[in-house]
Amino acid sequence: MKFLVTVGLALALLTLESVVVKQAGLVLGRIDVTVVLVAFLALRATLLEGAFSAFAVGYLLDLMSGQPTGLFTFLAVFTFLVGRLVSTFVDVRGAMSFALFAMGADVGHGLLAAFFTWLTVKNGSTSSLLSGLPLQVVLTGAAALALFPLLRRFEAGQDRQVGLLR
Amino acid sequence: MLSLLKRYRRPLIVGILLLYPLMAFLLSGRRVRDPNPLDRAVIALSSPVQQALTAAIEGSVAAVRGYLDLRGVRQENDALRLENLQLRAAVQSLGEARTENERLRKLLGYAETAEGPEIPARVVGVNPVAKLLSVRISSGEKDGVFRGMSVVTPDGIVGQVIRATGGYADVALVTDPQSRVAVRVQRSRARGTAAGTGAGPLKLENMLRTEDVENGDLIITAGTDGIYPPGMVVGTVTNLEKKEHGMFQGADIVPAVDTSKLEEVLVVGSPYSAMAPGSTGEGASK
Repeated sequence: MKFLVTVGLALALLTLESVVVKQAGLVLGRIDVTVVLVAFLALRATLLEGAFSAFAVGYLLDLMSGQPTGLFTFLAVFTFLVGRLVSTFVDVRGAMSFALFAMGADVGHGLLAAFFTWLTVKNGSTSSLLSGLPLQVVLTGAAALALFPLLRRFEAGQDRQVGLLR
Repeated sequence: MLSLLKRYRRPLIVGILLLYPLMAFLLSGRRVRDPNPLDRAVIALSSPVQQALTAAIEGSVAAVRGYLDLRGVRQENDALRLENLQLRAAVQSLGEARTENERLRKLLGYAETAEGPEIPARVVGVNPVAKLLSVRISSGEKDGVFRGMSVVTPDGIVGQVIRATGGYADVALVTDPQSRVAVRVQRSRARGTAAGTGAGPLKLENMLRTEDVENGDLIITAGTDGIYPPGMVVGTVTNLEKKEHGMFQGADIVPAVDTSKLEEVLVVGSPYSAMAPGSTGEGASK
């Protein structure tokens, strides 16, 4: 996927998620749509394009969190790199395997987020973050299943056929 | 040197993309930076979409609910009419009490606390990160909303403005794990701190074991944290734990406002709040 498409998609998904969370009244359960995007980038994008896209996606998440600290930007790039490494060992082709891949990425992302929060928050509780993680991972897996066809379509739309407009 | 840079260009760029935000995070800790022009542009781009989506979804939900509720509307109308009569009577007697209060204050030489503006706003979205409990509201700097101002509903306190841009602001909720509010038991005036836990009730902390507090007591803001005006409802005490040893007693506070179902809020500029852009209002949340 190209950089701008990824950014546009991330913006749209985050906005939609923010509204859905408000309507559903979810307190701790969130859908990590950005992790789904980063996981897809890890599987399909080149190193530089993926790193830049993951950086932008993380920045957007940081911005929409209301307290931009850089944590989610770092985590997005880190998740992309680890995902890229893992993708050399596993074969991810179908929607179900992609959902599992995204769920694994979300577990890592969630644990790291809780760890860094614990590092910087002196009095606040981080246990609530971990208690909400299983639901978050399941919701993210479901989102990955739903988004996989869309992401593939975006990707296919950018693959120019040989000989086109020759 | 140049050839080395050229050779390792890609890993270098990726390394910078990885380490720059990490360094920014570790060096700044939990300090929130002021929004830069890029932040403002992205917020200005995404917030109207958020607002439109919210309006569309809320409109659809309201239409369905409206149809379902129509059947009970007559009975509800009668009940509301009765309640209205009672409330009018109550307002009248409160007016009397207020007049008397003002007169007595004057007699005692008290200065009237300067009330700040009350800026209405709609909640347009919820922060998509579970780590921080915050919502985005439809009023910002151009409406007079600035960082550090407190956000309330008629039922009680909601949170604190942590970032304001042109037409939007982000509000950290009192239920956020990093939120701390100086509170008081309304009945006994005992002081303590209400701490967010991330979900469910708040925790009552720093309440001395000898202080008079009971289950069911109403907890109000003390006004000493420099963020929330005094006397605003925070919630009700439950699960009181009076220990035999130790300095403090603990309890849960059920928040008066269900922050997961917020729709309209008021932004209040108390005399304690930061009323200028760029000023820090981090008294209640680190």
